[in-house]
Amino acid sequence: MTEILGHLANGFVAVFAPANLIVLVIGVLLGLVVAVLPGLTLVMGVVLALPFTYNMDVTAAIILLTAMYVAGTYAGAWTSILFRVPGEPIDVPLLWDGYPMARKGKPAEALGWTLVAALAGGLVAAIVMVLASQPIAKIALTFSTPEYFAIIFFGLISVVSLGGSSLTNALISLFCGLLIATVGVDDTYGAERFTFGVPLLSDGIDYLVVMVGAFGLGEVFVRLEQGFTTVPLEATGRIDTRLPRWKEIREAKATFARGSVLGVMIGLVPGAGATVASFLSYGIESQIGRRKHLMGTGIAEGIVAPQAAATASVGGAMIPLITMGIPGSGATAIILGAFLLHGLQPGPQVFTSSSHIVYAVFASVFVALFVMCVIGYFATRLIVKVLAFPEVIVSAYVVMCCILGAFAARNNITDVWLVVVFGVVGYLFERFRFPVAPLVLGVILGPLAETNFMTTMISYGNDWTVFFTRPVSGTVMVIALFALVYPLIRHTLHKRRTRGAHGG
Amino acid sequence: MTNRSGFRRAAPYLALGAAAAYLYYVAANIQYSARAGTLGPDFWPKLVLALIVAACVYEVVKILLLRSEAEVGGVLEELAGESLEHPLDSAQSAAPAKPRPWLLVGGIALTSAYVALIQKLGFFTATVPYLALFIALGGYRRWWIVAATSVLGTLLMFFFFMKVVYVSLPLGVPPFQSVTLLLMQLFGIR
Repeated sequence: MTEILGHLANGFVAVFAPANLIVLVIGVLLGLVVAVLPGLTLVMGVVLALPFTYNMDVTAAIILLTAMYVAGTYAGAWTSILFRVPGEPIDVPLLWDGYPMARKGKPAEALGWTLVAALAGGLVAAIVMVLASQPIAKIALTFSTPEYFAIIFFGLISVVSLGGSSLTNALISLFCGLLIATVGVDDTYGAERFTFGVPLLSDGIDYLVVMVGAFGLGEVFVRLEQGFTTVPLEATGRIDTRLPRWKEIREAKATFARGSVLGVMIGLVPGAGATVASFLSYGIESQIGRRKHLMGTGIAEGIVAPQAAATASVGGAMIPLITMGIPGSGATAIILGAFLLHGLQPGPQVFTSSSHIVYAVFASVFVALFVMCVIGYFATRLIVKVLAFPEVIVSAYVVMCCILGAFAARNNITDVWLVVVFGVVGYLFERFRFPVAPLVLGVILGPLAETNFMTTMISYGNDWTVFFTRPVSGTVMVIALFALVYPLIRHTLHKRRTRGAHGG
Repeated sequence: MTNRSGFRRAAPYLALGAAAAYLYYVAANIQYSARAGTLGPDFWPKLVLALIVAACVYEVVKILLLRSEAEVGGVLEELAGESLEHPLDSAQSAAPAKPRPWLLVGGIALTSAYVALIQKLGFFTATVPYLALFIALGGYRRWWIVAATSVLGTLLMFFFFMKVVYVSLPLGVPPFQSVTLLLMQLFGIR
């Protein structure tokens, strides 16, 4: 414990170094703007910021992206509350109580509750992140390849079974990602796979190209087909933030606790993320909250529950990323990319080899939360003005950032062509309802999954049962398989219940 | 579900399944020096491709033979969906905009043309018209803003990438190269 606090203190010292602090403030500002800007999602924003970190120091690069991630879960609430326009899917639940509260003439109070909820949820998650990461990493150090494969398998399965409207489509998307990851020269045998005589494909397809193309350009193509819009700024009242009184906060303490804990837990599960945390927390509050009968009428609990959970999911998602190198959300997948770009592989060893970086990142979450709240308190009125920015202009610059980001990585035009190709793939996936997140996670975790699988097979004489006979890997594999079949079981039970109800 | 709509729904799975089957054939012919008793580099891609084919076959059979429209969704999204018992606001309930495929095709063609020409025209000469055309294609018609955004934005990106993060953007070939070189001189970029 003392050791952790010592490291964290050093982390704070690193964050308060002028260069890192400036980067952090820029990251928070960018996160706030991205969350408000039309046509730009949080994940897209973090993807587009990545190329700008190529020449940065690794600590500053991760701080920038983490600060964007933290702030991006907060500012979209402003536009939900004030203009009934959710900045992000995360902020849709804020429409149900945040906007009605603003309509009652209390927009400042609604913004105040959002700020306090984001701060509380973020702080709880950050504390859990700091306290839990090192013990989890110590356990992870004892793992061998079967355990790693099982954990990666669980991560891949959970992104399929948790999100998406079609399990089969999510699986196909994941398999496509795993397949893309096999392109290039194989590590063990040096054999060329799916290169089709193109020299650049021998190096494989960089997952950043897939991410930038599918998340960034693909989304722009989708919006282009639907037609761009500009939101008229008709706020429900004067844009101001009024913090709730301590007594009011204490009355809602159970909601704060539920939202924060749920957010951390959802964040821990790879593939779930802030949107699911926000919706689920609102749903739970509607079912068990003290004032559940008033939910949807503009009460504080309806704001606190989703906002606390959304921001808390950030700290939760950072834990598997740092301790095992497994990203828990789209944004952490990009942060993983930033780590790898700078030659640092997150995982249990990182606590011994680069603890100063890890704790600087942890400290940056705390500082980013406070900076976010200060900027949020004073600058809401100014930042929401970007909502009126024409979406088409934002999208044109998103395309430019995608292209330049891909070009900057290797100074190669083939990468830019690949971004365009994956942009079209991203569009087609959206068009035919194949989720993009499993594709991207498949590309990122595919090489790790294959290496750990093949090494296990070589070490254990091609005995695949080893994944199920070792205590840790066996348990994780069973949980993963259960996670895979659970949606089917749930669907079948739901169908039976519905049929029973209709039958009388 | 009519035959036509069934085929339309099954088409992506048929195309994907066929592509996966072809790639399986490619994977089966990967050249490597086999080691006795160990799995080769073709094992993993073949496994993944077999799973893609299986998933596609399942969907095609479900759509065309069983004529089922039922979908099994993700658990948390279903749970989250169940909490949406509120009458949705206009933000969600508004009818989706009518898709404009020609805009999409235009956008993809424009972006492809930009990527094809950027090395010949140079970054500045290619990017200014690209941004202006993209914004105009998106339906924005305040021309002075289009012009200002395109020119100033491109200059800003040029300066940032070349001067701040040291990314060597395409210079172009003569005579377009002279524009890039002039800008580099103006910004003090060597």
